[in-house]
Amino acid sequence: MTTKTIDDFTTETTSKAPDRNVPQKAGKALWAPMFAVSLMGFAIGMGLAISRANMISNGDDPLQIAAFGQYIPAAFFFGFAMVFAAISLAIAKILGEFRVGGGSVQAATNSDVKTLKMPATAKGFLVGMMMAMMILLTAVVLHVFAGIAIADGGVDPILAEQWTIWLEAARRFGTVLYLFSIMLGLITIVKVIHYQTFRIRQIAHTE
Amino acid sequence: MAVAFNKLVTPTSDDYTVETPHTKIAIGLGVFGIVIAMAVLVIALVAANDLEGGNAPQLLAYAFGLQTTALVTIKVAIAAALVGILVRLWLRIESVKESLGVLQPSDHGSGPSLGDVHTDFGDATVTKGVPETLPIHKMARTMWFPMVAMGPMFVVAGLVTSIVWGNNVGTETGVAASGWTQGLQFLGEGLVLAGISFLLGSILASLREGGADVQKALGLNVITLKMPATAKAFVVLMATGLMISMVQFGLYIYTVTGLNADSFAEIAPWWAWMGPLRELGLALLLAGIVLALATIANVLGFQFSRIRSIAATGE
Repeated sequence: MTTKTIDDFTTETTSKAPDRNVPQKAGKALWAPMFAVSLMGFAIGMGLAISRANMISNGDDPLQIAAFGQYIPAAFFFGFAMVFAAISLAIAKILGEFRVGGGSVQAATNSDVKTLKMPATAKGFLVGMMMAMMILLTAVVLHVFAGIAIADGGVDPILAEQWTIWLEAARRFGTVLYLFSIMLGLITIVKVIHYQTFRIRQIAHTE
Repeated sequence: MAVAFNKLVTPTSDDYTVETPHTKIAIGLGVFGIVIAMAVLVIALVAANDLEGGNAPQLLAYAFGLQTTALVTIKVAIAAALVGILVRLWLRIESVKESLGVLQPSDHGSGPSLGDVHTDFGDATVTKGVPETLPIHKMARTMWFPMVAMGPMFVVAGLVTSIVWGNNVGTETGVAASGWTQGLQFLGEGLVLAGISFLLGSILASLREGGADVQKALGLNVITLKMPATAKAFVVLMATGLMISMVQFGLYIYTVTGLNADSFAEIAPWWAWMGPLRELGLALLLAGIVLALATIANVLGFQFSRIRSIAATGE
């Protein structure tokens, strides 16, 4: 089995406990609003879905039914984009607790404060999250435009079907990318805990 | 049984220098999931450009089965990363216990008096010893593995029925296979997300027990946070989401066996709201996960404040 030493971690040294970095500050401030907005997206999506089911049962205007077929995924995937953002931000908040907490413990023992530099997994987490968010929100906006165009009539049914398939493909890929970046965020937590396990022993000379 | 699962989330030795395999497993599974998702993307683009050729419905059926498989593969990768966190947390507890034993000033009291106290991180209880494990934490430790193991089985079963669906598009068999695919795969996804939720519950359990264990070992009264509102809401959302995932499975089976699968017009109004319903089940599970993570962040903040206080003042 591979073993590590504390020298295998890239760190930065400061004289006092570091503050949260920008993503961690965003995580602390924004996880709750994102969470609340996601619930609204899901509620709207479910309401639209029930309306569409009634329209199908009543044999209403097929154009309106088709348009609702665009609005429902738009609402749901807006909700998903927000809930994944909330998860990512909550992970950033956890990483912030480790950074600030670890630093403050070192400062309390009058040691140099050594903090892990942002690892590659954390950078991948941020980039992946932003890309996934852009893909999902673009798909949401295009779903709404497609719905409006379909409801107005004059859109070739084949073209409308093509839009649906493209947008579904995009939002599903965005979801996969989001989950992958969340996984990278969790792996970063594993790394941080590993480093802090070394560091507290180094301070207490129990390594 | 739970003891066997516990071995997966506890370190095999006290050697904190060892690199555990969970990170590599998680990244490997995650990359595999991305590769499947890229294949699905290509299939979907081909299908979109072949709408008049007649192969699109078949391709889209295969893409559906594969897409859910990609999602669940990455969710299992997330579960592997969480198992890695649990293993590291146990090693951290040992390190903190040993190190604080050295750092703690020798002249110290036993900390706050027994009873309820308020902290910057919420209400807490002060006890003489390690508090009992909460029933929800026991449940989390027992349930995470069955959920994470069963979920992919349902998804793979759905992948097989998606092939049947693709090969029988436009027939009664195709409609039935479509219903089975959707029901099975979204139940599988729901189970894996529930497994992830239970793993997060296990992390909260290990933080609670580990924190108490450290305080007791240092000769202090044990301060433990009471279950915050976010944790209670997490449990409610998770249970509701899992129930919806099970109900949607039952409804899909009902529509393809209880209704006339030959007449899609009879099934269509049902599926019009069942599609969003199954998404709602997953959405609630994900919302619960947000709250679990927020709770973990809060507990970590509390633990660091305790460690800091013990290192500086002894109690």
